[in-house]
Amino acid sequence: MITSIIKRDGRVVLFDQHKIAAAILRSMEAAQDGDASDAARVANDVQRELEAHFSAEAPNIEAIQDAVERQLMNHGFSAAAKAYILYRANRTRAREANTSLMKTIDEITNTDARISDMKRDNANIDGNTAMGAMLQIGAAGAKAYNEMYLLRPEHAKAYREGDIHIHDFDFYSLTTTCCQIDILKLFHGGFSTGHGYLREPKSIQSYAALAAIAIQSNQNDQHGGQSIPNFDYGMAEGVAKTYRKAFTRRLRDALEDYLDLTDEDAAVTAIITQAEEMTGETARLESSESYLSAVALGLCQKYHMDKEKAWKLITRASTRAYAKADRDTKQAMEGFVHNLNTMHSRAGAQTPFSSINYGTDTSPEGRMVIRNILLALDAGLGHGETCIFPIHIFKVKEGVNYNEGDPNYDLFRLSCKVSAKRLFPNYTFLDSPFNLQYYVPGHPETEVATMGCRTRVMANVYDPTRQIAYSRGNLSFTSINLPRLAIESGGDEKKFYDSLENMLELVAQQLLDRFEIQANKHIYNYPFLMGQGIWLDSDKLSLQDDLREVLKHGTLSIGFIGLAETLTALYGHHHGESEDMQKKGLEIIGFMRSFCDRISQEHKMNFTLLATPAEGLSGRFIRLDQKRYGKLPGITDREYYTNSFHIPVWFPISVYDKIRLEAPYHALCNAGHISYVELDGDTARNVEAFEAVVRCMHDFGIGYGSINHPVDRDPICGYVGIIGDVCPRCGRREGEEVPPERVEELKRKYPQMPAFQGIE
Amino acid sequence: MTVKSKSEKLGQGVGFERIRRITGYLVGTMDKWNDAKRAEERDRVKHSMNSHA
Repeated sequence: MITSIIKRDGRVVLFDQHKIAAAILRSMEAAQDGDASDAARVANDVQRELEAHFSAEAPNIEAIQDAVERQLMNHGFSAAAKAYILYRANRTRAREANTSLMKTIDEITNTDARISDMKRDNANIDGNTAMGAMLQIGAAGAKAYNEMYLLRPEHAKAYREGDIHIHDFDFYSLTTTCCQIDILKLFHGGFSTGHGYLREPKSIQSYAALAAIAIQSNQNDQHGGQSIPNFDYGMAEGVAKTYRKAFTRRLRDALEDYLDLTDEDAAVTAIITQAEEMTGETARLESSESYLSAVALGLCQKYHMDKEKAWKLITRASTRAYAKADRDTKQAMEGFVHNLNTMHSRAGAQTPFSSINYGTDTSPEGRMVIRNILLALDAGLGHGETCIFPIHIFKVKEGVNYNEGDPNYDLFRLSCKVSAKRLFPNYTFLDSPFNLQYYVPGHPETEVATMGCRTRVMANVYDPTRQIAYSRGNLSFTSINLPRLAIESGGDEKKFYDSLENMLELVAQQLLDRFEIQANKHIYNYPFLMGQGIWLDSDKLSLQDDLREVLKHGTLSIGFIGLAETLTALYGHHHGESEDMQKKGLEIIGFMRSFCDRISQEHKMNFTLLATPAEGLSGRFIRLDQKRYGKLPGITDREYYTNSFHIPVWFPISVYDKIRLEAPYHALCNAGHISYVELDGDTARNVEAFEAVVRCMHDFGIGYGSINHPVDRDPICGYVGIIGDVCPRCGRREGEEVPPERVEELKRKYPQMPAFQGIE
Repeated sequence: MTVKSKSEKLGQGVGFERIRRITGYLVGTMDKWNDAKRAEERDRVKHSMNSHA
């Protein structure tokens, strides 16, 4: 006789046969297989079976559930049995998810980020701070919910087991990835941050300040990065406004000094206004002859001075206004960089992921912006620290800045000098054929712009009349564990391609499922991104409209990791080792790209192929694969899979060959790509050598590239450069003290150095 | 200009900052990198400027 049972938590409670009958009936109803009297009969037999097995001790829950399954089958209720098994499996998964969620929160709460790898999954969130930990706890809860309730079981399984990685999974039900903010469109007429209305800015300082605010505001509406594609063109307008105002004031000052007058403000303003009305132009860094003549005419008429004197005053005012505009621009750019390195988003847990693209505006104002933002980057932060944000992206274009004689060639050279010291800017190449095909001179929106991590959008299957970089971005992306497919295929090429095709289909479906969630949102879910018209066509939506159609300007991207390990698993070598493997590598990535193009046409949506920026992923996939397959030489025997299509970081290869081999993949990975070159410090500081590497990238058709070299800093003496074991300036080793007299000596030697720690 | 007494051992226990690039972004110190990315950074080799290595 069964009188009690043991619950999961170990408690002993009274046995109640009605509860068993009720559970059985629920399964029968779900499967439309049996009724209440059937349920009672099955429950009776369950009790009988339990009594036969558990005469002395109490049965536990698992044993009872096993008996229910068996008796349902014995009685021929196979559909109900199936429903019961499914219910049981779901309950188990939910229970495990809850336990694992609590364990995760426990780790976030109690473990130092220096020990917990999980808390360092994203290097830009400090898991040791209150807000950082809160963000991580929220993310853990959202992930558990999304997996249980939003994913199809086959997607959940593929994600859980590491066949695929769904990026930004914590935001699955909430928002999209990133956007290129057209800063000019936003500024014209002013905008609202949701906490207040900001008038159209009137000086370069406010242009730069509001640009930072725009990035910050938009970051709160999306989970990825924020970028300004037209930083030079955008800020140039602010410079022009600053100059115009400065010119008026300097002209007034010069005039008042010359004629020994005071309070000529109104008269000079009237002359300027008249000149503007006559010519339809304003004062510019390089004002037109006709505009300045109109100002001269006004001066002669009003003050009865000769022409020569009027021109003298104008020249003096122009020179001084130029200096003022340059000074203001410099300060504005420094302020912008400082802002982006210190301002917070996401409840203070993160600095916004920001990028700015520039390099092609050849107007004097645009050039002033580019030069000063590069100088601000070069100067670094308050203590000379290298700026982490924003990512600077220099757009390289023949005829604009690439060759000697091009109008911005001097700025390209300056960018190389700065990047050789500060790691930024990175370079994007508008002449590469897959970028050049969209380029229309005089239309900066057709110049490819990069979200710093690598994401790009250009093609537009949904609306082929809008193949532009501005106001668009990625909606979501999911990456495929390529090496696993290769390992599983056991070297059978056909098997590999079949499983790859299946995986591509699975990912495409999952991206569409996620799109369904995103498409049903409204403007009010994204008060800045959609409410301020930043996203393409969002200004045409009304409050009731869902976002389905406008979101189709964005991209759904399929990413991948570990081409090198994939080739090694399939053929024994990777693409750095032989030209044959390079051919095989291009076939695999070409196959994936064709798939993306095909489904893009089917759905009239932008499916694109992404060379995934794998931060958390590089370790996650390989840990799971090491558990499954052990440490396979050249495949799973390191702590990470190689990023996207890269030649492995540990493989010795020349700059030239690395660029040559990686460039063709840039053409295939239309959702985004990046190639790195690692230089030693001495080479990097040789600007000729540095520029030669950038030119090599350009000539091989790289889309986006950057050059890595060591940038170290000793926070004690402020030295920035390469530090081996010993700091070349103060002579200490890591962790060692600097004797006080040596500090005094250094302080005298480097008076411009920022305050030394501990010195007043 | 004086040196604070408490800072007489200026620099003791203070490491060097080493700025590196990770997935396109720079990261101020490697303390916050995850284990896999630290290993990847450790393994990176320099690329030579000779046209064929």
